[in-house]
Amino acid sequence: MNGLFQKGEGLQTLVGPPLLLLHKDSCPLGKLEGKKLHEICSSSVTHYKQYPPNTSKVYSYFECREKKTEPTKLRKVKYDKTVFYGLQYILHRYLKGQVVTREKIQEAKEVYREHFQDDVFNEKGWNYILEKYNGHLPIEIKAVPEGSVIPRGNVLFTVVSTDPECYWLTNWVETILVQIWYPITVATNSREQKKILAKYLMETSGSLEGLEYKLHDFGYRGVSSQETAGIGASAHLVNFKGTDTVAGICVIKKYYGTKDPVPGFSVPAAEHSTITAWGKDHEKDAFEHIIKQFPSVPVSIVSDSYDIYNACEKIWGEDLRGLIEMRSADAPLVVRPDSGNPLDTVLKVLEILGKKFPLVENSKGYKVLPPYIRVIQGDGVDINTLQEIVEGMKEHRWSIENIAFGSGGALLQKLTRDLLNCSFKCSYVVTNGLGVNVFKDPVADPNKRSKKGRLSLHRTPSGDFVTLEEGKGDLEEYGEDLLHTVFRNGKIVKTYTFDEVRDNAKLKESELEDLLL
Amino acid sequence: MMAAQDFNFLLATDSYKITHYKQYPPNVSKVYSYFECRRKKGAQFNEVVFFGLQYLLKKYLAGPVVTEEKIQQAKVFYQMHFKQAVFDEEGWRKVLEKYDGRLPIRIKAVPEGKIIPRGNVLFTVENTDPDFFWLTNYIETMLVQMWYPITVATISREFKKILAKHLKATTGSLEGLDIKLHDFGYRGVSSQESAALGGAAHLVNFCSTDTVAGLLMAQQYYGCPMAGFSIPAAEHSTIISWGKSREKDAFECLLDQFPSGPVAVVSDSYDIFKACKHIWGDKLKERVMERSEDSALIIRPDSGDPAQTLLEVLKILEECFGSSLNSVGYKVLPSYLRIIQGDGIDLNSINEILEKLRDEGWSAENVFFGCGSALLQKINRDTLNCAFKCSYVEANGRGMDVCKQPVTDPSKGSKRGRLSLRRNSDGFIETVERGAGKPEEDMLVTVFENGTILQEYTLDEIRKAAQLWEEDVSPSQHNKEDSTTLEIHQKCIMNGVH
Repeated sequence: MNGLFQKGEGLQTLVGPPLLLLHKDSCPLGKLEGKKLHEICSSSVTHYKQYPPNTSKVYSYFECREKKTEPTKLRKVKYDKTVFYGLQYILHRYLKGQVVTREKIQEAKEVYREHFQDDVFNEKGWNYILEKYNGHLPIEIKAVPEGSVIPRGNVLFTVVSTDPECYWLTNWVETILVQIWYPITVATNSREQKKILAKYLMETSGSLEGLEYKLHDFGYRGVSSQETAGIGASAHLVNFKGTDTVAGICVIKKYYGTKDPVPGFSVPAAEHSTITAWGKDHEKDAFEHIIKQFPSVPVSIVSDSYDIYNACEKIWGEDLRGLIEMRSADAPLVVRPDSGNPLDTVLKVLEILGKKFPLVENSKGYKVLPPYIRVIQGDGVDINTLQEIVEGMKEHRWSIENIAFGSGGALLQKLTRDLLNCSFKCSYVVTNGLGVNVFKDPVADPNKRSKKGRLSLHRTPSGDFVTLEEGKGDLEEYGEDLLHTVFRNGKIVKTYTFDEVRDNAKLKESELEDLLL
Repeated sequence: MMAAQDFNFLLATDSYKITHYKQYPPNVSKVYSYFECRRKKGAQFNEVVFFGLQYLLKKYLAGPVVTEEKIQQAKVFYQMHFKQAVFDEEGWRKVLEKYDGRLPIRIKAVPEGKIIPRGNVLFTVENTDPDFFWLTNYIETMLVQMWYPITVATISREFKKILAKHLKATTGSLEGLDIKLHDFGYRGVSSQESAALGGAAHLVNFCSTDTVAGLLMAQQYYGCPMAGFSIPAAEHSTIISWGKSREKDAFECLLDQFPSGPVAVVSDSYDIFKACKHIWGDKLKERVMERSEDSALIIRPDSGDPAQTLLEVLKILEECFGSSLNSVGYKVLPSYLRIIQGDGIDLNSINEILEKLRDEGWSAENVFFGCGSALLQKINRDTLNCAFKCSYVEANGRGMDVCKQPVTDPSKGSKRGRLSLRRNSDGFIETVERGAGKPEEDMLVTVFENGTILQEYTLDEIRKAAQLWEEDVSPSQHNKEDSTTLEIHQKCIMNGVH
């Protein structure tokens, strides 16, 4: 089969800077650079030749499919609803304004020529866009408001070509738009964890005070790139306010905006190197030095470099106890374990600290450490272990006021498009002037069936959401379509501030009631 | 080469690191740290491909990365973020004044593409000027993201081992190995930048991809004008847009539009088996048979159990088109007809599929594979236990070997002192700790110093270094210590939610 791909010899080096200019501006604080033509996967390049002749419109949509038939492993977390977030970033960064120039078209033509060893690139189609629209994309995108919490299996946004010559453009932008799976999934998973924390915090303390700081983003180093860090961290900040992933704040300020100067906060904290650099016999000196450096704000000190239990019992509990007791409620010492089984370690640390520092019983009958000392567990935390730890603490009569959590890989990286079955599919085309509802329905997998025709999203009289297919939403009786036009012909026509996003995504009264049942 | 102008390096770190300059012991003049993929008992992967540092150096670390404007921006930002002034403005201004904004840092690293056993130092970082001891770990956050290209390149190479094994056994040669696994992962990664980096990492081992961003990464950062290839292919929209009753017309259009060169056609929009039997195998049979070996039809199933679907499809195609035996006695479809399985592929399933094919007498040359999230997204820093730790400091003119050894987890213990990497007298690669290594034996090369990149590697060199070894290809097991069978290989790539 050696003729399958021919590798040409002496491939020309591309002239000029490559089209893919993403390398230049990973930090969103920098200038935007367009780079449309390469943000698609190779096969999309050839699709313009594959649609039926006289196709004048291609209409596609995005959803987080429901998975009705679950395979043998039982999901502990259901993810019934998803948080819609991240489209605005994609529109601003990659789709708006002039996205093609003559040079870019030429460059793309050359790259694809080498890549396919053939001339398959739709140069004519892109020149048309350049000439008629000055390089702006003739597509229209309608979407649910950002921050909306919508049940699985509903349309979240639709994409349609606005010029009959550019029917092929709808699915050209699929690859870039489907990457919205990531901010949606981070925001959704983060919100589910907020529900768990809200439940146990309410049950063990009677209030939700401090909820927004209970899950801190530790994920900067554990994501796959700087750009991912920015997007993911911003998605977590939809639900919480504590983060160490600075890049997320940059994304929010640049692409969404907030009324506050920054949407996320942090506190001084140690890392292993700032403890171990003192030498094994000087852990106490390290601890003492650091808490003295930050007398009037919370300070978190990782305490497991050698022996977490000894550190808690002897150093914090005895040697430095006086210094800790002097600290105010606004400036607690936060003890950070970082190894061992998360639940066991947390319980043992609380037990040791509980013996050394005077405990109080709160109004719900749960134990609370004095306000000048707290714990943060930032190792091995994911949605399942989080549940285990708060449940375990409750069983041992510890209030969740005592603890905060940090999460890295599980918050920002250990997620895939399959978690919420994010999918983009064509549902309607116009060929020879006639509209046709189209869909896929693979015999071997009913879960992969897609919706038909033109779609809209509505609220039923009972307050549920429903997606209407086959253009049924045009009929007045179903009320307004919740999908709003956000992008048309190269312009962003509707935006949301991050405050609006947070507001749409906040936990509802009814959800809290359900949690506490 | 200069790093991105608009990127603010001072904001590219974990918040807490802003406060670390106040936490080191007094009179510290050097902080020396290293990166490894820690060894873990029962781990699936024993060795890693070192790849991706050059991208980080060129994009973010080289040249002047500090300006007064960036210092001001960072100062204002951190004031609001911490609700107090903790940012080390003076420290960064010194970088600007003393070094024109270039980083007084030295990085020594294993040459890119090299295959190194777990538990060895892969690169070291230290400050070159005593005033900037705090800088070494400031850049940890960015450098630890090396976990990603290393892990993608490693996983991709593990796929290659499996494919090589089966290809050799069922065809007698490795011809076409480097196009056996096609990168389908672009839409399933978390960002454009990750797509580029992951896509390039896969191209260390293969040269077929649909992730265009990876090609450009390889071109811009690793000097390869065109690192990967693809073919025209359908997607569901280009089939279903013809309507359910016209799937045959859609298929025929594909054959017409792409008469020369291979073309892949997704065939499961409604019923993969009927499509193979009645459309490809009957209504369009002659059109298919007209095609040459160089312009094969490649049928793509995309749902159902991968192994079962493949076997059923092969059976149907054999009934319609026949098959022949190759030189080692395995069945091959006619050369104008092939299959690509691009759904549900990971290390586990690909091995399972190839074994089942082999059991049924089918050669691995009949099938190509596409892989998306398992290649580029379904991995994390814990997959290879990537970590960055301080191992040596100097204070008051004296050097001290340091480490962590948490009693609660011995596997999290770190190495001590200054480190080097060498091949010992038995030929095995090992790390020498406590500064005891001989410079002439050290495999680590200084790649970056004081803002300048001193050593670069091309993708060609990297590909050569990362080639499979004889023992990866032959059917017998590795004879390295703590070798694992392929069943243990894929216990679970991901911990956590899944």
